[in-house]
Amino acid sequence: MRAMSPLVEIRLVTVRELRRSFRSFKGVLLGIIAIAGGAGVSMLLAWIDRAKRESLPPGIDIEAAQEPFFTASYGEETGKAIAACPYALWTILVATLWLGPLLISLLDYDTVSGEVQHRSVRFWTVRTRRSSYILGKALGAWFSVLAVTLGMNVIVWGVTIGVGKVPPAQVLAWGARFFAVTMPISAAWCGVAVLVGSLFRTPMLSLLAISAAFSGLWILRVVAGLSDWPWLAYAYPNFYDSLLLSPRPSTVALGLLGTGAIAALTTGAGASLFRMRDV
Amino acid sequence: MASLRSPSPGGSVEDAALRTVHLTKRFGQKIAVDDVSLTVPAGAVFGLVGPNGAGKTTTFSILAGYLHPSGGRAEVLGFAPTAVDELRARLGVLPQDALLPAQDTVGEFLVHMAELQDLPHPKALAAARESLDDVAGRDWWNQRCGSLSHGMAKRVALAQAFLGEPEVVLLDEPTAGLDPRVAFEVRQLVKAKKGRRTIVISSHNLTELEETCDYAAILDRGKIVASGSMAELTAANQEVRIQLAAGTRRGTTPGEVPVSRVRDIPHVTTVDLQEEQPELVVGFDRSQTDAEAIIGKVLTVLLQNEVRISGVTKGRGLEQRLIDLVG
Repeated sequence: MRAMSPLVEIRLVTVRELRRSFRSFKGVLLGIIAIAGGAGVSMLLAWIDRAKRESLPPGIDIEAAQEPFFTASYGEETGKAIAACPYALWTILVATLWLGPLLISLLDYDTVSGEVQHRSVRFWTVRTRRSSYILGKALGAWFSVLAVTLGMNVIVWGVTIGVGKVPPAQVLAWGARFFAVTMPISAAWCGVAVLVGSLFRTPMLSLLAISAAFSGLWILRVVAGLSDWPWLAYAYPNFYDSLLLSPRPSTVALGLLGTGAIAALTTGAGASLFRMRDV
Repeated sequence: MASLRSPSPGGSVEDAALRTVHLTKRFGQKIAVDDVSLTVPAGAVFGLVGPNGAGKTTTFSILAGYLHPSGGRAEVLGFAPTAVDELRARLGVLPQDALLPAQDTVGEFLVHMAELQDLPHPKALAAARESLDDVAGRDWWNQRCGSLSHGMAKRVALAQAFLGEPEVVLLDEPTAGLDPRVAFEVRQLVKAKKGRRTIVISSHNLTELEETCDYAAILDRGKIVASGSMAELTAANQEVRIQLAAGTRRGTTPGEVPVSRVRDIPHVTTVDLQEEQPELVVGFDRSQTDAEAIIGKVLTVLLQNEVRISGVTKGRGLEQRLIDLVG
């Protein structure tokens, strides 16, 4: 008998997870808050960006005006490369990176534990490899987060084009680039969330554990900056934003490798542990 | 015929749909299943019986692949229960107390499950509709699972278990919490599916199991205390019981039980009149005759003596057998 491809299993579980996310009250509410919040904030930011551009002294372009700030934040090479970006889009990128873990923990905390608690998972384990179930759940969680953040980003792009003074093509190019930066980083956060969340049978415990794990990773980042162990920062997904924003392809590749490794290792560990446990 | 003797594994391995060999499951210090060996023949309807905490749901859960055994092994159609690829379309399970996904509609849920059984979408759709029709739930297709009543949800879960006509179906407490009418319909459904596949039912409802199952194993404190065909377990092919009107006594005058005349009936081996109940228990040699022939002859003798009869049963009944074994 021909074995069913794990990819088909993963696709089926992922599609169902997406449907589940956006049908739940929680998913709809978080989506609305993220999108409406993004729209409101972007209005303000686009207006600030416009005022900033209009008040530039003659002979100074926006790139020159913003360069010192971005250079201080990301180093000279990357700072220069993104100095011309619309301020509103960069702010939304930073907000997405900072609020992403919160969105991910709230959106995904019950993705596995909720079905384990109510034993609904038993309908799946008879028909799906457990590793496919976890991978499908992780992908579904990631796509749900991407859908919400993309929705927010699209609104921000629209507002920036409408209110600001930046040409639409530039807004879309910078917007797409910044959104692309958030994709691998949110994949890494989702991997951590699925690994930690799947260890618990109670969604509330799962939420607390995910929050603790995310905070723990942030503390590692802080410790890395203050200690002789800078390599600890590699465990913190948001650390990779500066690598992913770099104009140098090899640095971007390193960022992709780092975030991909976190996502793969955590999801793989989650799948392995789930395969061994009783449901 | 199933030969199910604990602790040694029994039955023909070639004909076995399910098998456990020295199966053990511990939860910390507690041993929930203790060295259970049983064989369920292909095509049988098999009951797992026992009081609370006997280990039947744990045994069931290992056979369904939910729990990993601590020792021994379990096989379904020759594969480990966790061998999803080999079993996905061949094993259907109705888990106890598993909630249907509240956000999914009934149709979406069943189609999704059928697709995970490797059915292409059009076939999955057809299988889901057919399965839902079988449980008389055609009208629920677009209803959210979270809005179903307990009885409706149980029937959708049952439809899920029989989806795609699997060879082996495991049902954990299929009628628990259902009103009598729905429970009756579920029993009818299981009976209708009988013969075409192997069905294992774990249940507290002994009357239901006696009515539905061909074989059973009685568990107590994690061990099998008796097993075999339902006729063997209930002694239905060894004795008949005649319930008598209150106050009936032993004797030869009209209205009394002529015990010696009953004992003289050919192939009768034992006669026991329990005057407190009152009940006449007649044992017979099953190699020479059957229960129906003995019932006819015993009733003839009793009616000739004008004994008032209130009921007749073959054997002790599963409930009595369970009480005899586990107290």
